[in-house]
Amino acid sequence: MQFESLVAVLEFAVRKEEEAAEFYTDLARSMVQPHIARIFEEFAAEEMEHKRKILIVMTGRPGWIPQARIKDLHVADIVEDVVPSSDMGYQQALILAMKAEKAAYLLYMELSSASEDDAMKDLFYLLAQEEARHRLRFEVEYDEQFSGEN
Amino acid sequence: MTEKKVLDLIRREMPKQPPEVRKFNFNEVAFGYSEELAVEEAKRCIQCKKAHCVQNCPVEIDIPAFIQCVADRNFAEGIRIIKQKNCLPAICGRVCPQEDQCEKVCTLVKKEGQLAIGRIERFLADWEARQGHVDMPEIPEWTGKKVAVIGGGPAGLTVAGDLILRGHKVTIFEALHKLGGVLVYGIPEFRLPKAIVNREVDYLKSLGVEVYTDFVVGKTQTMDSLLEEYDAAFVGSGAGLPWFMEIPGENLNGVYSANEYLTRLNLMKGYLFPTYHTPIKAHKRVAVVGGGNVAMDCARSALRLGAESRIVYRRSREELPARMEEIENAEEEGVIFDFLTLPLRYNGDASGWVKEMIVQKMELGEPDASGRRRPVPIEGSEVAVPVDAVVCAIGNSPNPLIGSTTPGLLLGKKGNIEADEETGKTSRDKIWAGGDVVTGAATVILAMGAGRKAANSIHEYLMGGDGE
Ligand SMILES: Cc1cc2nc3c(=O)[nH]c(=O)nc-3n(C[C@H](O)[C@H](O)[C@H](O)COP(=O)(O)OP(=O)(O)OC[C@H]3O[C@@H](n4cnc5c(N)ncnc54)[C@H](O)[C@@H]3O)c2cc1C
Ligand code: SF4
Repeated sequence: MQFESLVAVLEFAVRKEEEAAEFYTDLARSMVQPHIARIFEEFAAEEMEHKRKILIVMTGRPGWIPQARIKDLHVADIVEDVVPSSDMGYQQALILAMKAEKAAYLLYMELSSASEDDAMKDLFYLLAQEEARHRLRFEVEYDEQFSGEN
Repeated sequence: MTEKKVLDLIRREMPKQPPEVRKFNFNEVAFGYSEELAVEEAKRCIQCKKAHCVQNCPVEIDIPAFIQCVADRNFAEGIRIIKQKNCLPAICGRVCPQEDQCEKVCTLVKKEGQLAIGRIERFLADWEARQGHVDMPEIPEWTGKKVAVIGGGPAGLTVAGDLILRGHKVTIFEALHKLGGVLVYGIPEFRLPKAIVNREVDYLKSLGVEVYTDFVVGKTQTMDSLLEEYDAAFVGSGAGLPWFMEIPGENLNGVYSANEYLTRLNLMKGYLFPTYHTPIKAHKRVAVVGGGNVAMDCARSALRLGAESRIVYRRSREELPARMEEIENAEEEGVIFDFLTLPLRYNGDASGWVKEMIVQKMELGEPDASGRRRPVPIEGSEVAVPVDAVVCAIGNSPNPLIGSTTPGLLLGKKGNIEADEETGKTSRDKIWAGGDVVTGAATVILAMGAGRKAANSIHEYLMGGDGE
């Protein structure tokens, strides 16, 4: 993947968030259970919120506080992949989401290490950390909701 | 001048089977207090003016009053006081997490001599049972109203008992062939003898509660079709849908959910094969994943079936959510505890049976924003543990059947029915809910408390109020 400029990187990131939002919106539509559909609608809204944050960065305004290294509970690493189906439960929904965030994190980390331009390297790193933060949000929720007795 | 009472801080122990004997049988572990021990223990109560214990009991039993009755050997009055608030004292005395409730805030806890409230409650209930006769309350004339109760666990039983005593006709619809819910299919005989649960169920039936077993609401009949015949319905269908960790190897033979494992044992009486026809495979090395009451019950059952039994828990002993008494019992009996240990995957043999679990060591991380120290893996600490059975006891959600077949019934994220905390009223007309189906897996006393609140609200609605 080649990027001409920092703006191109951010545009790419915006597109990724839009794609993720679309993915969740489509899933929401295909759910049998309305309460699970609502969960995916929430996930879609969160992706749009991520997009909004990137757009703020593009306008050059501050508003995106760089995070220190984000904690990894490694839940996404040990659970098996979920094949989306119309009768998924909340547990499967969370696994799906944390795996997607982890994949996005890995992609940005790879792009960061492949970049020769320092500013671009940093930006990819920042985007990766942001995705790690999203992953952690799902891991913590998973930990709270599905690991109470574990 | 009032005489100052000398504090007696020695909690009277409850006699129980020695560990080396009980780990080979399914009989109840604890024998309960003798009359003398119960009276001695009750006399330790200092009758605080501000009784914190009452505030910390989910159904607000007048604890100092019944304790005083025991101290005075007026047992009949003592049990009467308990039953004003708790219709299943023989059960709660045995399974309530007292150390997190009434006993936790007993004034004497400051000196580590908190009163054994649960043991005294149990003593009174057992004393009453030994008297051999039960006072039958008068049933008021029929109000002309009919209520359907879905699920025969503690929540449903409480609603049924409360509403029949107010003159309504009550029918319980239960999916299994027996009433009692988790009390019969989950909690093992050695902790809660089934005769006690059956006694309570028989009492309800003798009051005139009608019962349909093997009746799965949502399949046999929907909520809506029941409501054509009934004026109101209470859903107390519990949280019977087990979670797995969703890690590789969970579909191997020999990997059970706690529900399946315990149901085979308790409800199908697997441990009494061949007297009962459903044997349970004898395993040699059983690993139980989880640290709650359910996990303790599984690990101690496995031990009694002759296996080496271990609890695999991601956090440390301090965080174990099980009742302290059961943790200590499990330790005494020889259950092995692998703390700060997380299963990563299970490997099977050529015929598809689990043969080992790969686990990773954990450490508790720095407290996060919520103040909780979450376990994080220690890299490179993976080891293989040989096992021939794994029981997953990490938690349960409500079964989605009723939610998905009842249009307009609002559900939470985990499929739990949304209901008002004070009344149990759901989003649907004429439908109330309470117990684990609302809260997710919780406790017997909370399920009973929710049942009681819902019964009050249903009664008010049936008598012309709005039930709010
Ligand atoms: C192994 C184990 C050990 C436990 N130990 C303790 C303990 O020590 N102390 C404590 O306080 N709590 C303990 N608990 C938790 C406690 O048992 C539950 O919180 C309590 O039983 C919840 O009561 P309930 O009436 O809401 O549901 P349940 O007891 O689950 O009863 C629900 C009933 O509804 C029936 N049902 C479900 N779906 C349908 C349907 N569609 N149609 C008809 N019927 C249906 C079920 O078959 C079941 O009989 C334990 C739980 C387990 C599993
Ligand atoms: S707080 Fe303790 S000492 Fe006081 S009344 Fe309750 S049980 Fe008795």
